[in-house]
Amino acid sequence: MTGHPLTLKVNGQERALSVSATRTLLETLREDLALTGAKRGCNQGVCGACTVLVDGQPVRGCLSLTANCDGAEVTTVEGLADGNVLSTVQQAMADTGAVQCGFCTSGMLISAFAFLRDNSAPTVDDIQHALSGNLCRCSGYRKIVDSILLAAKRVA
Amino acid sequence: MRIEESFTVSVPIASAWEAIRNPEIVAPCIPGCESIEVVDPTHYKAAVRLGLGPIKLRFLVEVEITEEEAPIRLVSTTKGEEGGRASRVRSQNVLSLTALGDRETEIAYSAEVEVTGRIAKFGFGMMKKKAETLGREFAEAFRKRVENGQDAA
Amino acid sequence: MMEPGAEVAFHRPRTVQEALALLSADDGAVCLAGGATLVAMMNADLIAPSGLVSLSGIDVLRTAERLPDGAVRIGAMRHHRQTADETLLEDGQQVVREAARQIANTPVRNMGTIGGSIAFFDPAADYPPALVAADAIVDISGPNGDRAIAAAAFFVDWYETALGAGEMVTGVRLPAAPMGSVGVYHKLARVSGDFATASVALVLAMENHTVSHLAVAVGACAPTPVRRPDIEAEIIGNGLDDAKVDRLADALAERLDPVDDVRASAAYRRLVAPRMVKHALCRAAETLGGRQ
Repeated sequence: MTGHPLTLKVNGQERALSVSATRTLLETLREDLALTGAKRGCNQGVCGACTVLVDGQPVRGCLSLTANCDGAEVTTVEGLADGNVLSTVQQAMADTGAVQCGFCTSGMLISAFAFLRDNSAPTVDDIQHALSGNLCRCSGYRKIVDSILLAAKRVA
Repeated sequence: MRIEESFTVSVPIASAWEAIRNPEIVAPCIPGCESIEVVDPTHYKAAVRLGLGPIKLRFLVEVEITEEEAPIRLVSTTKGEEGGRASRVRSQNVLSLTALGDRETEIAYSAEVEVTGRIAKFGFGMMKKKAETLGREFAEAFRKRVENGQDAA
Repeated sequence: MMEPGAEVAFHRPRTVQEALALLSADDGAVCLAGGATLVAMMNADLIAPSGLVSLSGIDVLRTAERLPDGAVRIGAMRHHRQTADETLLEDGQQVVREAARQIANTPVRNMGTIGGSIAFFDPAADYPPALVAADAIVDISGPNGDRAIAAAAFFVDWYETALGAGEMVTGVRLPAAPMGSVGVYHKLARVSGDFATASVALVLAMENHTVSHLAVAVGACAPTPVRRPDIEAEIIGNGLDDAKVDRLADALAERLDPVDDVRASAAYRRLVAPRMVKHALCRAAETLGGRQ
């Protein structure tokens, strides 16, 4: 199949790709680049499990068409850690026990990472509002919110 | 969902009944109807196009008349499939004709409609409104057809 | 309609003219704005365009500016996040900013655009009543040239706008609101980020205790936003007392045509919308300090 050529910088690495017009970024990441951290939950942009950063902004991988992302910088959950050193938000989530089945986790981390980058002293309300686009079916959200409060304290 | 509507046509009840039982007259009045095939006097097949916002659909529809009591009552079931794309429409329809006068007939229909598949997935609340609009368009087209054609019939 | 197996074309024009030419060349092609709705519908197998004309490379669609006449123009490709933070919007124009803030959630606000949103026109979306209350103008470009249409006339019916074949939205213009006016957008939704069950958008200005400007639109309760400029005109020039607030709320309620859907019954919408109108008006008046 003839594809549309483009380059993406994924987690700091330049990748040259050729994709069909309708291929989503989520499909590209998971199937072509073996970055399976982002999950396909609803494929409708509602659940947030596919959330990744494109040019620094959290977006829905399932609603982004790869062909439309030429030249973009993409960060997935795999790109949050620095080698073996987890990022603050990842460590906080691990320390708080905020992971149950783990399906929502990568999306939560991406959203939390972007949120904490721009907000240093969030309240519980701020966090709930900021992460309202990430659904969790296991945890009841309490520990996820706690982990982000903890991460915010640690960053400060 | 339940759709109910009634309208009057200025023709005697017998003419109205004849018209409603005649697919050659009914089919062109159905909005989006592309073709109709009479399988037998109580079975019809039709292809109907309709649009719901930006979504374009094409249904292959089978109508079966299950009860008729000329000239006052017609009960039918409709089954529509989207031909492989997994939307289905099922409806139970009751058509009642009442003579209001020598040359005036009230036609009342009620349909119990069930929609499943991809089109229902999107959760359009306006499906009922759309169905009602289609019903009114049909009523208008049918009325014009029957009233204008009555002398020729 | 596309044949199964045929490839979908992808284009990324640099100008509006190029985009229009691409749309004219293929009647199965559609504009790709933010993709938040279009790609969701493609994923749900509800639409299958033969071509995608991405608008993200057209710079003129991505800007916002104040025009010489004091109006604010928002380019069609401005994301909801940008409109939610738009400092150019002043006084009553902020009704549009308030609406943008309540759209969905952060990632969707980063992707979705005002042009894409209004071109699709979900009647439960947040922009339509806000744009109607703000007396916004929608700018359109097409094969027959450019034209402008009032928002109230742009929204025609369920998921139907005044856009003709091959036409696209290039932006919206918000006229300058009266100085000191306030813009309010209240949204009732089942959960944060949902489409509105019912919404009220209004712009109110008062001088001393007299209403000098009033525009109230109800969203998500009819095929298009509901507004009663005739009743607004009766109130302008007078004070805003309970009787007038009730009159406007009832007048709006008369024109509602809500549906039963998963978010609420039509009966519930009829019940709650007038109450929301009264509540929003009273809050706006209190903000202005002009309540009688």
